[in-house]
Amino acid sequence: MSLITLIPLFPLIGFLINGIGFRHVPKSLAGIISSAAAFASFACALTLFLGFNGQPQIVHLFDWITVGTLNISMSFQLDQLSLLMLLIITGVGTLIHIYSIGYMSHDEGFGKFFAFLNLFLFFMLLLVMGSNYVVMFIGWEGVGLCSYLLIGFWNKNSNYGNAARKAFIMNRIGDLGFLLGIFLIINHFGSVEYSEVFSKIAEGGYSSGDKTLFYITILLFIGAMGKSAQIPLYTWLPDAMAGPTPVSALIHAATMVTAGIYMIIRSNIMYSLAPETLDIVAWVGLATALLAASIGLFQNDIKKVLAYSTVSQLGYMFMGLGVMAYSSSFFHVMTHAFFKALLFLGAGSVIHAMSDEQDIRSMGGLRKKLPITFITFLIATIAISGIPPFAGFFSKDEILAHVFEHNKLMWAFGVLGSIMTSFYMFRLLFLTFFGEFRGTEKQKHHLHESPIAMTAPLMILAVLSAIGGFFNFPHIFGGHASLAAFMEPLFEQSAIEHVAVDESLEITLMIVSVVAALLSAGVAYFIYVVKKTVPVAEGEETGLQKVIYNKYYIDELYDTLFVKPITALSNFFREVIEFLVIDLIVEGVGKLVKTLSSEVRLLQNGTTGYYIFAMVLSIAAILVWSLKSFLLG
Amino acid sequence: MNAIIALSLFGISNLFLGFLNNRKILLPATLVFILIALGLNFADWNHEYYWFNNMLKTNNLSVNFVTIILLSTFLVVAISRSFGDDDEHSHPAEYYAILLFSAVGAIMMVTFENLIMLFVGLEILSVSMYVLTGSDKRSLRSNEAALKYFLMGSFATGILLFGVALVYGATSSFDIHGIAQGVAKAKEQMGGAYGPLLYSGVILIMVGLLFKISAAPFHFWTPDVYDGAPSIFTAFMSTVVKTAGVAATYRILSISFPSVYGLWGNPLVYIVCATLIIGNITAVYQQSFKRMLAYSSISHAGYLLITVLAKRPETNSSLLFYSLAYAIATITAFAVLMVVSEAQAKNGKADESFEALNGLANNNPLLAFSLTISMLSLAGIPLTAGFFGKFFVFSDAFSNPSSLFKWILVIAILMSTVGIYYYFKPIIAAYMKKGEVAKIELSPLYKFILILTTTLTILLGLAPDLVKNIF
Repeated sequence: MSLITLIPLFPLIGFLINGIGFRHVPKSLAGIISSAAAFASFACALTLFLGFNGQPQIVHLFDWITVGTLNISMSFQLDQLSLLMLLIITGVGTLIHIYSIGYMSHDEGFGKFFAFLNLFLFFMLLLVMGSNYVVMFIGWEGVGLCSYLLIGFWNKNSNYGNAARKAFIMNRIGDLGFLLGIFLIINHFGSVEYSEVFSKIAEGGYSSGDKTLFYITILLFIGAMGKSAQIPLYTWLPDAMAGPTPVSALIHAATMVTAGIYMIIRSNIMYSLAPETLDIVAWVGLATALLAASIGLFQNDIKKVLAYSTVSQLGYMFMGLGVMAYSSSFFHVMTHAFFKALLFLGAGSVIHAMSDEQDIRSMGGLRKKLPITFITFLIATIAISGIPPFAGFFSKDEILAHVFEHNKLMWAFGVLGSIMTSFYMFRLLFLTFFGEFRGTEKQKHHLHESPIAMTAPLMILAVLSAIGGFFNFPHIFGGHASLAAFMEPLFEQSAIEHVAVDESLEITLMIVSVVAALLSAGVAYFIYVVKKTVPVAEGEETGLQKVIYNKYYIDELYDTLFVKPITALSNFFREVIEFLVIDLIVEGVGKLVKTLSSEVRLLQNGTTGYYIFAMVLSIAAILVWSLKSFLLG
Repeated sequence: MNAIIALSLFGISNLFLGFLNNRKILLPATLVFILIALGLNFADWNHEYYWFNNMLKTNNLSVNFVTIILLSTFLVVAISRSFGDDDEHSHPAEYYAILLFSAVGAIMMVTFENLIMLFVGLEILSVSMYVLTGSDKRSLRSNEAALKYFLMGSFATGILLFGVALVYGATSSFDIHGIAQGVAKAKEQMGGAYGPLLYSGVILIMVGLLFKISAAPFHFWTPDVYDGAPSIFTAFMSTVVKTAGVAATYRILSISFPSVYGLWGNPLVYIVCATLIIGNITAVYQQSFKRMLAYSSISHAGYLLITVLAKRPETNSSLLFYSLAYAIATITAFAVLMVVSEAQAKNGKADESFEALNGLANNNPLLAFSLTISMLSLAGIPLTAGFFGKFFVFSDAFSNPSSLFKWILVIAILMSTVGIYYYFKPIIAAYMKKGEVAKIELSPLYKFILILTTTLTILLGLAPDLVKNIF
């Protein structure tokens, strides 16, 4: 069995052990089994990465369904893109598994939690390893399921259950788009294999702006909107913070939500031929980035801030995809996985220390009590704010530089977004770790640094957040842009125009955004440290602040526009249509069949003579009918 | 093909083993015999051999059919539990021997190259079945069933034989390829028209075979015989005999008479529709699980015949897949039926009604679950083998250019929705109805077979190409 097959197998085995043996596997063992499974996958992925020779490799497991000329196989594809995703998923995944051993140690559903986590990993690996859209879709649905299960993990709280349902339904809307996209691909290309579809496009002489490709790409993008939380399907992600914090870090920050970006990069050849879609992708990304960042400015829940920040960063990635800066977007996926996982885990460490308090108004001054968490959180904050030399700076500026070539206005908005990012992140940092402690005496007494199982992943991720940018160190600083070079073969078939950016211009752009980020960090310092402002209590916000705090009332808007009419319609169907139409027809047919049956049954009367008579009569009828030409002359 | 020789010898040695007075050895011995035969069968894979002076021919298609037949026989033997401990009235050595002999007959029916062999195979199988149907000597129902089966069966055999004679008269050949040439020659000489000799011969052969697979209106024996025979032999009849019958029908119609498709195709269309309608509609009203299964087997004959009729290049694999899915699910259903009806016996008589299943899931989760999966598979619900079986059959029919097939499909699909009604009855009884079935102790082998068949059904429903590619 090849290493490739083993990668998804380990988490599956882990899931089976913990899932079937739930309540029987001792607690101490459950976490270790799961983490070991994740680590084993990581080891395999790393081995494959080191031995990778640049040639895509397809491992055919078995033919799944063959219908007519369509053959859907269960097979894996190993190439630059899936390798990188594998490393991120299994690498960050392993760290978060280890972290969870500490974080979830007091929880009743410890074994169940790890079973779900492993199952998630399995499906996520399927998603990125599949060599066709159907396997990707299986993974896509699977991670959706796991996300649902884990958001609602503490299902005794009905609000959490609702959040899980919301996530699932929102995702289903996107999935429908994805599914239709797959149908269209099958209909048009007669295959779902990446290699076949893409080579057909490359050889098929499709011109830029082809209608079919436009529809396919836009449908796939709708799928991506759902999974990667873009406008208008983003509202589930902030609510998804109901799940345990490691889940937020793994699923709702580092891996699953980047599936949409993975899908678009995977299908880049189609997107490159559909400029209209790309424009839509870019503007939706930008709008999401700005909207989410602005909501993030005034949130008081430590995880909510990070959630909106995630939505906003995903917006940046889509903006990058929209201007065909695929490798830059992927670079941001990677650095974002490091620093956002770190931020969430840091937040988890804080929440752990604060006895499940999540409101930053009750925190403050934690840097002395939680030194490791503080330092790692600081590194991540600097990284996400785009301040050099930490990871976020390189990836974000690469995207912004490409956006600048494409559209200056878009760039300006992008910088505005990064100003907001820097502000809300430093606001979060200052309110949490600086100033005086604002919580209760009991909480203060309880404050402690987290155990090593939790701080070790923090430290590793902090190192990655700090140096992650050097994986794709840009040319202007004398680097080799090795990530971009590594990913180059993925984009061979799609004609991307490379406009060489003027070096001095690029440096100017960088300086502008860095200065803007620093300034906004300074403002945050002035407001929250020097003036010691604390956000006002619930319900006392005024004006614009109130609107933003309430997330622009988007949830309420959706509720009025979609939920209520649908509920009304479904009530109508239940009370009128079902009663008058469905019941009548269904029961009528049922009665008819039953009556028929009771009559036909009588044919079987048990008399052999009668049976033989019926047979002879039938034979005679058939013979007469077949031979009528002879009989009638 | 050495499987035939081996199985015959094994059957005889089984009779001798019966003298040992040790009933325990018979079951494992028979299972081993069947496995050996299965191994010998695989030796013919990827070769085209003629045997016994062109009497039989093996190719991959026949190897696949033989595999399904032997697998079904294996499963049936495995759930036979040595036919109980009633020394006086049951004779396991003889029963096992007869089962092996009838497997030989079934194999001949899927490998025949000469109509004589078809006849011999069919008779070996039929006579064995007459005996086994009546094996419950003290039961009036069993005796009645055996006699009915024998009377009607010999009648059908006579018709088949008459058809063979007429075809020989028209083409002067018993060889199935020879007949095809004879038909072509007749076409040349007569300028496109055939004499009534050939016409009647083809129809009569077809009718003789359709009787064996219980297609309407030649199905009348089925409910009475299936109901009266001991359940274990009903399981055998509804799987092995049906598979062999369909394979033989397909073989002769597609090899000897493809050029006179209109002749046998036209009546077959009506036969298929009648079979689907009668099988499914009548099953709705049944109160006995076993009798319902008898009607279900009639309806499945209808689905299987659609592929014979559709005459597509994919027919081979669809037919095989459907037979396999159907056989596995049916044997599972009978396995559950047997133990439950015995456990629920009233006044020493096994209770085979749906009510006997009430509340089965409470104490017997494995039985209830296997039953559910097998019913879902027979009903053709996705994620079970039966779904893909139906799907392949329907897509064969759909891809046939003739518009007639669209109408057959409409009937087939409507009837499969009727099927859901009665296939869900046992599931509802097992899970939702109030009732009490004491915990039934199952032997490890029995449990293993239930788990194996259930797993196979789900596996084939998840990844049908695992076996479809072999077929």
